[in-house]
Amino acid sequence: MALNKEQMLDLYRQMRMIREFEETVAKFFSQGQIPGFVHLYIGEEAVATGVCANLEKQDYIASTHRGHGHGVARGASINKMMAEIFGRADGECKGKGGSMHIADVELGFLGANGIVGAGLPLATGAGFAAKYMKTNGVAICFFGDASSNRGTFHESLNMASVQKLPVVFVNENNMYGISMSQERHQNITDIADRAGSYGMPGIVVDGNDVMAVYEAAEEAIKRARAGGGPVLIECKTYRHHGHFEGDPCVYRSDEEVNAWKAKDPLPRFANRLQEMKMATEAEISQIDTEVKKIIADAVEFAQNSPVPSLDELTTDVYCD
Amino acid sequence: MIAGIIANPASGKDIRRLVAHATVFDNQEKVNLIRRILLGLQAAGVQRVWFMPDYFGFYEQALDVFTGENQLSMETKLLPMQWKANQEDSQLAAAKMVEMGVSCLVTLGGDGTNRVVSKGAGEVPIMPVSTGTNNVFSVMVEGTIAGLAAGLVATGAVEQEFSLIRTKKLIIYINGKAVDIALIDAVVLAEQFVGSRAIWDIGKIRQIVATCGESFHIGIAAIVGALHPINKREAKGINLIITESGEQTLDSTQGSSIQVKAAVGPGLIRSVPVHSYELMSPGQKVVVNHVPCVIAVDGEREILVGPEDFAEVELVQTGPFVVDVQSTLNRAAQKGLFINR
Repeated sequence: MALNKEQMLDLYRQMRMIREFEETVAKFFSQGQIPGFVHLYIGEEAVATGVCANLEKQDYIASTHRGHGHGVARGASINKMMAEIFGRADGECKGKGGSMHIADVELGFLGANGIVGAGLPLATGAGFAAKYMKTNGVAICFFGDASSNRGTFHESLNMASVQKLPVVFVNENNMYGISMSQERHQNITDIADRAGSYGMPGIVVDGNDVMAVYEAAEEAIKRARAGGGPVLIECKTYRHHGHFEGDPCVYRSDEEVNAWKAKDPLPRFANRLQEMKMATEAEISQIDTEVKKIIADAVEFAQNSPVPSLDELTTDVYCD
Repeated sequence: MIAGIIANPASGKDIRRLVAHATVFDNQEKVNLIRRILLGLQAAGVQRVWFMPDYFGFYEQALDVFTGENQLSMETKLLPMQWKANQEDSQLAAAKMVEMGVSCLVTLGGDGTNRVVSKGAGEVPIMPVSTGTNNVFSVMVEGTIAGLAAGLVATGAVEQEFSLIRTKKLIIYINGKAVDIALIDAVVLAEQFVGSRAIWDIGKIRQIVATCGESFHIGIAAIVGALHPINKREAKGINLIITESGEQTLDSTQGSSIQVKAAVGPGLIRSVPVHSYELMSPGQKVVVNHVPCVIAVDGEREILVGPEDFAEVELVQTGPFVVDVQSTLNRAAQKGLFINR
């Protein structure tokens, strides 16, 4: 790993983009301008950013119901993502998918997913395709702690290992499956421990440290691309907001939330860049300002986009 | 007659499972290990064992099987403290156990775990059972045997002159202020982030300061061991300057090029270009030669040194007391402690 200043600042910019995107979505959702449900990625930005910074054009990602951050990190159009969340015709999926079904197949973004654990077999299949088609691509699967209890997790890891597929399973362990704490749904604390059962390495990293995630992903992706097979990376992290917007969060203590907010990946990385004289406060502020403008423009783009017309209700929904 | 157990639920899971071939040590195996340690402690006559609380719940899980006719005869208790799921837990637990009158601390972790425990342990001896990756301070030992040895120390059945080793340590100073310690080595890396913590890219190493290192060691200590072995008891340390890429590689003591082949990690054997080295005496400080940098202590990137900082490393002889398993058990046998007539 040897990142130059610009690459470091790009990591910060990407995390800031996700944070600003999500805070903006929260604001407009609370005003009733966004339909359906939204599950925000605030607090977990270092994971998607650190992983996706290592990807190439031919690679795939499969996401979760908390998928906005993955899309942003993969380089999806901010305008189109925002429009999709607003349910508008210029959205990634013409406004019919909404928050939980944003996808951009051309980018290898196989979509957010409303079904817990459903991204696991998708990514495994994408990994299979990459190997079969000899594209030298890898597939990343983001998934949560509770989804590792689902059959799809076990089937996918087993198949990926047996077939030695180029898949990196990235567990975002934010300690809760909806409102159920990990200690209530698993008799283990490290999802990484499960990797050994399928004959693949499993490691734990600080998911709030973008450089730790970057390094682990870099090595795992390099290994997968070289034919070394799948890896499970468990990123310990935390969502600052509830499971969904509007979740009263009665299952978490203020003390716990505050302890994790103190480890917020954004100020942590920004401070470190400044301490090491790799960026000035002015450079960081400039990025923040630029990102605010991009997100404000995306909201304007979304609000100016029409809602899908009724006569296109079933277009792109069923195969013709 | 009181012992303590500090088990690190996070050890044995870092990136070295990916970039090297390090042992995978899941927490269920640590539970089994703790059970064997408990039985060893009990057999040696320990009357009470304190446990550090942790997010995994080693205390509850380990004791789960000791019910009915398998009930332990000694008392086991969970230390009253709130865990934070970081390394502060181990230091705090060690300090509290000392207050509780613990006379031997059994640790489950790697060298990094023991570094932290030693900060709270004071003069109380440590029985370091390896469940980590870089195992120079902590030892690969069967749990039952470790429990027996720790029990013989905790009960005072074996004299300290036979059972304990006083180790050395390094104190790291930033701008004249002591900020941390290392038990085995402090490694200066041309890095600016702690990142995934481990060291595997030898090209980033600029300097190594070590308390010991022998040819059979794994990790950075193996470089020392291959070049100029120093054991845990010797009153000396070593300061190695590593050649930067493209720089001429010279041994300043002999004027010849040296590449030191060493097992720098599990399955990672590398040639390390050593520019020069000097032996250190207790009390001697050496200056960190490369800033900004990250200093890895006992195998983990930990200390951030800024571009305007001045960093030094001092060798001292006041490291933690460690149980010498072989010597302790041999002495116990010699005294007939295992014989019932």
